[in-house]
Amino acid sequence: MKYSKEELEEYKSENFKERLKFIDSYANWLKKTPNKEWSKQQNKLLSR
Amino acid sequence: MEFEFRDNVILFERELSDLDKFVIKFVEILDKNKINYVLVSGYVAILFGRSRETEDVDVIVENLPFEKFGLLWESLEKEFECLNTSSSKEAYYGFLLEKTAVRFAYCGQFIPNMEIKFPKKEFESETLKNRLIVKGKGYSLNISNLEKQIAFKLFLGSEKDLEDARHLWNIFKENLDKSLIVEKAKELNVAEDIISLVLE
Repeated sequence: MKYSKEELEEYKSENFKERLKFIDSYANWLKKTPNKEWSKQQNKLLSR
Repeated sequence: MEFEFRDNVILFERELSDLDKFVIKFVEILDKNKINYVLVSGYVAILFGRSRETEDVDVIVENLPFEKFGLLWESLEKEFECLNTSSSKEAYYGFLLEKTAVRFAYCGQFIPNMEIKFPKKEFESETLKNRLIVKGKGYSLNISNLEKQIAFKLFLGSEKDLEDARHLWNIFKENLDKSLIVEKAKELNVAEDIISLVLE
């Protein structure tokens, strides 16, 4: 096998931690952005 | 983000999405039929800004006698159709009483859909009792208690669920009791490393 199970698990785990960091930075942006503004941007995503 | 917590009410205004309008239309029919319900799972995170889509909105409704469910069915069928069956009797006896959810979408559509079920486990009955109310201009939505919602997401445990939990925690941490989330998560046998990873 090209990659060990441990390497792949570590890759997945790092990837997930990166996702959590993105979620944190997005939440920080949400908290300082008026509802009207962030909800408008979110609606664009939801209406694609 | 602006919101105001007042006991079990969150005052909250946002530009409504098509998904929000779909949910509001559905729960207005539940309200008109005096049916106690609570919105749970991913939609709660999306309502408060989570940047993801969903195809279904989970809602727990109180256990109903067939007569009351029949009246709800009649009210719904003007705009919604059941995706599982065209028979209210089958939906009730074959699905809901068998602890299986039934889904309703706008007539002729498949997504989004409302996935409704009766409470199966005690924690679902508790969720129905201890709900929060989100109030904005022209809408009122019953959502699950946020500590329980986060603990339940930790229990479900997929990456999407853990991300929803982290999002809700990030947004509401100043208003929530972390020890209660940990306690509820432990009741659901969530591993300590998952709890600390998400609630760090």
